[in-house]
Amino acid sequence: MSNTPSELKYTQEHEWAKLEGEVISIGITDFAQSSLGDIVFLELPEVGTTLDKNSAFGVVESIKSVSDLFSPLAGEVTEVNSDLVDSPESINENAYDNWMIKIKPANVNDYEGLMSAEQYSTFCDDN
Amino acid sequence: MNELKTTILTNDHLELKAKMAPFAGYNMPIQYSSVKEETLAVRNNVGVFDVSHMGEFFVEGEQTIDFIDHLIPNDYKNLSIGKAIYSPLLREDATIIDDLITYKLSENKAMICVNAANIEKDWNWISAQASNFNIKLTNHSDEISLLAVQGPKAEQSLNSLGLEVSDVPTFGVKSFENGIILARTGYTGEDGFEVFCPNEKVKELWSNLLSNGVIPCGLAARDVLRLEVCYPLYGHELNDELTPFDTGLKWTTKMNKQDFIGKKTLETYNPKFKLIKLALDKGIPREGYDVLNSNGDIIGKVTSGTMSVTLNKGIALALIDSQKVPNDENYLIKIRKNNYPAIYLKKPFVVGGNKK
Repeated sequence: MSNTPSELKYTQEHEWAKLEGEVISIGITDFAQSSLGDIVFLELPEVGTTLDKNSAFGVVESIKSVSDLFSPLAGEVTEVNSDLVDSPESINENAYDNWMIKIKPANVNDYEGLMSAEQYSTFCDDN
Repeated sequence: MNELKTTILTNDHLELKAKMAPFAGYNMPIQYSSVKEETLAVRNNVGVFDVSHMGEFFVEGEQTIDFIDHLIPNDYKNLSIGKAIYSPLLREDATIIDDLITYKLSENKAMICVNAANIEKDWNWISAQASNFNIKLTNHSDEISLLAVQGPKAEQSLNSLGLEVSDVPTFGVKSFENGIILARTGYTGEDGFEVFCPNEKVKELWSNLLSNGVIPCGLAARDVLRLEVCYPLYGHELNDELTPFDTGLKWTTKMNKQDFIGKKTLETYNPKFKLIKLALDKGIPREGYDVLNSNGDIIGKVTSGTMSVTLNKGIALALIDSQKVPNDENYLIKIRKNNYPAIYLKKPFVVGGNKK
């Protein structure tokens, strides 16, 4: 069973989101890092990039695979974790400590519409 | 949808919680622990791959040598008994049907090991060529399992299981009384052995290897390992439309042989492509990515690409249009929206082959 902290929100594309004040941190879930295997490359957007809901904001690559990263919400990128770009393997060690981008959501109320930990766990079990 | 075929060891892989995926019609283990750990196990210690999906044909009869020497472009006639040889299998127009290893078991008996995806295609072709020769061709693919035991400690691992292999030279073949045939060959660039094992004995061999500390390795690590040492893979660097001259296999075509299928075409053939090796300091090349010259013109495509575990950088094999090979050896690979400079290499990315 993969780990899904209850204080986070989740998407069907296996991203997690965490609301802190007016800003939302985004990363990939434990299920995602485990499915990908050894993560070796991360490509993230520039600060100031405007993202639509479900638009691709970056790419994560394992040794043998390439996957797009999708934004759970519409918003503007306010911060990018450039340390993580230098050591993407940290995602395999702890998927939830390693946020990728922070966004200022266009509508913060949309956050509540994302999946809860319980819903996401059920979703993973069903797929 | 067709049911996936299994190997004798499929349940053992599932018990080890291997990630499984379809490969050439078989449900095969892609990785057990991690691609990185498995790759390094083979480079530094010893790993074992279940490659039982591969096919085995036997050729027997007094014209075995003449037949195989006609069938493949490499030199089978002068190969010593007890040795194996790599070769492509060609049509008359020199296009590549498959690549295979032929084992000279005796004057009148040979084993041919072929890619799983091509078993039927190869069988049809080879049987059709056999009619003028006094030989018997049989397909034992469903009765033989194949384990590749690879890495610097492969020799001591097999010795400790009572399969004495210290006397087997590189590309040497040895037959055992219990029906096992093994050869000092492999697809990783490391020292190692491919062990052809009767189906009923393979479970015991697999579990004995694992009990002795040999690491189970999946097809993902196998692909990284072969790409690091620049071995071609059918369906990627080799296919039905390319000839050996297009794709780095000129060395396997012995043009001074009296005859082989495809020789006539190759005598006047102008290569359409050149297979090259490219390494990247930044970015990971993948199959299908465009290769560009320094002006930004598309001149070829990546046929295989990965992150090299051993070197920790992106590596690729690419087919370049032979008319567009740049003299300055400056190449770019397009990854998504950006062009990344690639370093052109003449030698393989990694040189393995150490013994411990």
